[in-house]
Amino acid sequence: MRGRPVQDDISSATEQLRQSNRVLLVGIAAIVAILAVTAALLFANLPDANAFNTRVERIFVDNDALIAPAEIRLLEVLAQSGTAFSEVLASYRMIIFVLLAFSTALLIAALVFLVVILGLNRRMGTIQRQGIEVVSLVISRAENAVALNDFSFKLTPAAIETLSVLAEARMDGEVLSGAQIEAVISGRDPADCDEAAGATRIKRLRDALGNQLVSELLVRNIARKGYVLSVEKAAIRML
Amino acid sequence: MKALLALTVLALLVAAPARADCYADYKAKREGGALQLHYGVAQIPQGACGSGAEAARALAPRLARDGWVLLNIMSIFGPEGLDARKASAGRYFLRY
Repeated sequence: MRGRPVQDDISSATEQLRQSNRVLLVGIAAIVAILAVTAALLFANLPDANAFNTRVERIFVDNDALIAPAEIRLLEVLAQSGTAFSEVLASYRMIIFVLLAFSTALLIAALVFLVVILGLNRRMGTIQRQGIEVVSLVISRAENAVALNDFSFKLTPAAIETLSVLAEARMDGEVLSGAQIEAVISGRDPADCDEAAGATRIKRLRDALGNQLVSELLVRNIARKGYVLSVEKAAIRML
Repeated sequence: MKALLALTVLALLVAAPARADCYADYKAKREGGALQLHYGVAQIPQGACGSGAEAARALAPRLARDGWVLLNIMSIFGPEGLDARKASAGRYFLRY
């Protein structure tokens, strides 16, 4: 059973990561697909030069009165102006295509940022619920001090010894009983050690560290003025 | 008797082209860069005078030599209709 909650946390974190990656991939694929379809429809629907020529040709065939050379020349000019217009359309099509590519990039960037923000929000929520999350624990035996995140606490040499033993055990992934803690610190055989001696060491460590943690994080002492609870007003509710 | 029959057939063959020349007016296009159109009058061989489709079969290859595509045959007529169409056909009067 040891270490189970931590294991769960890690797996749920990777699960979330995988999920958001999937959302990201699906979103990018959807954006690219939608804009590709748009581009395809655009290219398919814009008329080409032949559309104008076909129309003029049909007018020529359908109207038997349009046979004089001057009228036929006029029809040819009409077809040419249509061709010129379709060249303009082709350049518009290029511009629209560039804009589509640009909007694809923007949408993908927006999606990536959205996913990042969602992930950060979720993380912020977890941190807020958990209160203090220890991201760094530095034990300085020489100064008899321990630094939790940015907070530095002074401890007695005995308490530092206990904390060091616990830290080493944690790095090895072990759980120590009271007797084992006492045995490591005193250097005797665990069988000869008293469970209660280890428990006392833990109690002293908790008292010393807990006191300072609470004074730093919860009950502040403002010099020569008094004490104040360092909690947002809005966060306090009386039931 | 046999000689007489051969003579008759020969006479018919010689007489046939002279009997009635046959013409058609048509519309054609040429594509390649800008669209070009023309209205023209052309002589049609005697055997193709029956219908527009036959005339088109006879005329299309001649036009195709210069890259023109036959659009349609408007009418088939005899020599008496030539004068009325000469002005409209312009350069393409009896050219193909």
